[in-house]
Amino acid sequence: MFSPLTRKKLRRFKSIRRGYYAFIIFCVLIAASLAAELLINSRALVVRYQGHYYFPTYGEMIPGTRFGLDYPYETNYRKLSLLFQKENTGNRVWMPPIPFNPYENDLREHAYPPFPPSFADRHFLGTDSSGRDIVARLVYGFRIAIFFSLTLLVVNYTIGVSLGCIMGYWGGVFDLVFQRLIEIWSNVPFLYVIIIISSIVAPNFFILILIMACFGWTGLTWTMRTATYKEREREYALAAKALGASDIRIIFKHIIPNVVSVIVTYAPFSIAGGIVALTSLDYLGFGLAPPTPSWGELLQQGWDNMDAWWISGSVIAAMVFTLIIVTFIGEAVREAFDPKLYTTYE
Amino acid sequence: MTDFYKAVRNSTFYESITNNRGIDMQTKWRLISFTVIMIMAMAAASMAETPHLPADIHWLTNDSDPVYASSDAIKGGALNTAVLSFPLTFRTVGPDSNGSFRDFILNNNLSLIDIHPNTGNIIPELATHWAFDKDGKTMYFKLNPNATWAYGKLVTADDYVFTLEFMRSKYIVAPWYNDFYTHEIDRVIVYDPYTIAVVGKKAEPDLYLKLAISPTPRHYYGALSSDFVSRYNWKIVPNTGPYQISDFQMGKYIHFKRKKDWWGKDLRYFKNRFNVDRVSFTVVRDFNMLWEYFKKGKQDVFGLVMPQYWRDKCRIPIFENGYVEKAWFFNDKPRSATGMWLNMDRDIFKDSGVRYAFAHAMNIQKVIDEVLRGDYYRLEQAYVGYGRYTDNTIKARGFDLAKVEHYMKASGWRRGADGIWEKNGGRFSVEVLYSLAEYTPRLVVLKEEAKKAGIELRLQLSDPAAAFKQILEKNFDVAWMGWSTSLRPQYWEFFHSVNAHKPQTNNITNTDDPKMDSLIDAYRNSLSEADRIRLSHEIQQRIQEIGMFVPTFMIPYTREAYWRWWRLPTPLGTRQTNDIFDPFNSVTGGLFWYDQKRHDETLKAMKEDHPFPPVTIVDKTYQTEPPVK
Repeated sequence: MFSPLTRKKLRRFKSIRRGYYAFIIFCVLIAASLAAELLINSRALVVRYQGHYYFPTYGEMIPGTRFGLDYPYETNYRKLSLLFQKENTGNRVWMPPIPFNPYENDLREHAYPPFPPSFADRHFLGTDSSGRDIVARLVYGFRIAIFFSLTLLVVNYTIGVSLGCIMGYWGGVFDLVFQRLIEIWSNVPFLYVIIIISSIVAPNFFILILIMACFGWTGLTWTMRTATYKEREREYALAAKALGASDIRIIFKHIIPNVVSVIVTYAPFSIAGGIVALTSLDYLGFGLAPPTPSWGELLQQGWDNMDAWWISGSVIAAMVFTLIIVTFIGEAVREAFDPKLYTTYE
Repeated sequence: MTDFYKAVRNSTFYESITNNRGIDMQTKWRLISFTVIMIMAMAAASMAETPHLPADIHWLTNDSDPVYASSDAIKGGALNTAVLSFPLTFRTVGPDSNGSFRDFILNNNLSLIDIHPNTGNIIPELATHWAFDKDGKTMYFKLNPNATWAYGKLVTADDYVFTLEFMRSKYIVAPWYNDFYTHEIDRVIVYDPYTIAVVGKKAEPDLYLKLAISPTPRHYYGALSSDFVSRYNWKIVPNTGPYQISDFQMGKYIHFKRKKDWWGKDLRYFKNRFNVDRVSFTVVRDFNMLWEYFKKGKQDVFGLVMPQYWRDKCRIPIFENGYVEKAWFFNDKPRSATGMWLNMDRDIFKDSGVRYAFAHAMNIQKVIDEVLRGDYYRLEQAYVGYGRYTDNTIKARGFDLAKVEHYMKASGWRRGADGIWEKNGGRFSVEVLYSLAEYTPRLVVLKEEAKKAGIELRLQLSDPAAAFKQILEKNFDVAWMGWSTSLRPQYWEFFHSVNAHKPQTNNITNTDDPKMDSLIDAYRNSLSEADRIRLSHEIQQRIQEIGMFVPTFMIPYTREAYWRWWRLPTPLGTRQTNDIFDPFNSVTGGLFWYDQKRHDETLKAMKEDHPFPPVTIVDKTYQTEPPVK
């Protein structure tokens, strides 16, 4: 399935322990965040009621009336669990380890959020200033940030790589014109543009990706263009041309697979960049609309509530951890794909 | 400035002082005075005859309403306070002049008359006497002959004539004022240098709110020219009030100094007020920084309306040792119509049952109790605090799931699989447009509670300017906002059908109701107070029946922290007081004073670590709302 060269690179990647383990942890984190509904949720995993089993996690909401409660809106499973325990009639609720969803406000009489971390309340990292569980906000926020970052990466790379290669392959006037266009385009102050656009349309996930992709693809074109200039003069490219292959075929079938190592080394850092960009936009209030769970918004709350150290503490720790992991992966990838075998990064 | 006086202030406009004069100012003044006399002479000559006062004129004055300043007040000291940003200009008209700093300048520009903050009666200011004409659009004023501009020039009738010329001038680049002083105020008639009449364009109720204009110093401005806007950006224009800007540094500070021999200092309603010698506004750009400055004693007062400040952040030694005192003062004034405005041009809100259900699905009380710490109050309707014009029997719709169920079912909706109401393929999911991130904690609670009632709120935070534009263009489902207030309830702009279904009007709910229209027309055309009050109640009932507005919160008080050498009268303020440490407001401001002895005593005690008993004053003299739970 892989060429011997690629297999060799993968072996080298695996042999760089720090990066490899970071990669495994990263994958586990993503997988866990995909299953976040099973770990962190106000909906129960399983409810046994009058001999029937219910699995409320995914699917439609189950009104309280279904379990003999007196309200038609969504069942409060935490209360239901207590109730079943008290009744002791064989009914039972199995809750996830953290029984809160990232949107609900766990408010109390005569006390006001943010509440400090408490094992008794199952708020392991406390709550934010609206009484929402910080672990839940962090995990769901991570899921959004990481997929945002990945989607952005795909979009940016598709545009950047294609255009860069075409510029390098065709060269001439096309290259010259696009170089100038990109120079101008990349001088547009991207943050201001986002701020202006966000003030006009409420940004959602895809609008933000679109805006950021508009400005994110340019950086890649330079490297791709140079790499392609080099590759197109190689014999295999000339041979393909001599056989009558179209330009598009030569670029996408022959050249890109050969310059892909350049792209791959950039990728982990782009992911880190994407996370940081989304977090900073949310921090400034120009990111995803509330109440979307977001690290930037938590950071903002941490700044406003300096005494509530657990807010800023959690989000900064989470951020540092994620970025370090991504950087470790990036380093290892760069080293594994380095054509100069004996270079070491320390 | 207080909202109460907005109506007055809108009609009372002027310019203030300078001390950046050239050396040859004396000569220039003489020239200007000469020109003024020439113009007056020409104006007089152009009239067929000098006007005569009507014979049956009935002069009124007010020297019997209670005074509200403390006779214990002593003069002296300096108040150090802050502004969050440096003003863009010192002009009070023209481009960029509409900032919050303008109030400090305007409050030192008195008008002919004002309104007593506790009784609501007219009180003298620059005029000593006033009279109403039978035509319902003219008022006569006898000017106070002692009134002077800063630097000693007397305020005379011609300065009021100049106000009209000034405000109508195209050089001031202020279309609103151009329009107001052209289409609302007809003319100023001069009978002698100290007797004038101000004539409105049409007869209307509460005429005095409009006709109490302010003078503008002709001797200072002379003839206006096209360079007005740039020329007067940083000029300090002579004013008639107790304070004048003495010096300033761009971007850093502005100092106001009390005039040594202010003409008004012994007048009944000004006595024992405006006590501090100097008021400094330092620019502090960050609210958290301001709090730090206050704790260090570099600021004298700090607003504590926000619950977390009043309750948590004050648990620090300077409060517990009594060096800083706290005051909670309830006022009684028109409350901003703050809440959720439903756009009735949206299909979903065309059904009154759905609007009622929406109101019953908003758990405002929970937000008050659990987010706002019980410190805010439920606003019962859009027009609270307008005295007899308010119908106090109207109560807001409370959170009630059974009623939501009832109204929704009656309108043919049923709960969908996700618990949200559905009808004909549509869900009860609406967007709530709001403009400040500070409101998010309140809205997320409402959102979670509304879900129980089967209504999905989608929160949309937009920046204030963009949100307001979207609202005025009627491009929203639910708008979370409040309107500013005026002395009397205003209905036409918000609820009359002529303003519905078109952009850039304040009828943001698109209220289009024939009964409402006829009530509003009658209200606007009536000159009888009793009729207007009755109609006002009927309109408020009708608003409740239509149910396009879900009232949320009001804050019927002000709270402040101040170092203990600042003293306040009893009661701490007036019915209309917005800020008990307002240094300038011509009717409610300047009631506090500085106590040198206590200052020395406090500094000594702080050095020796000797505490005083902590002080928290709660003044409910003017409280009208039910007490805090």
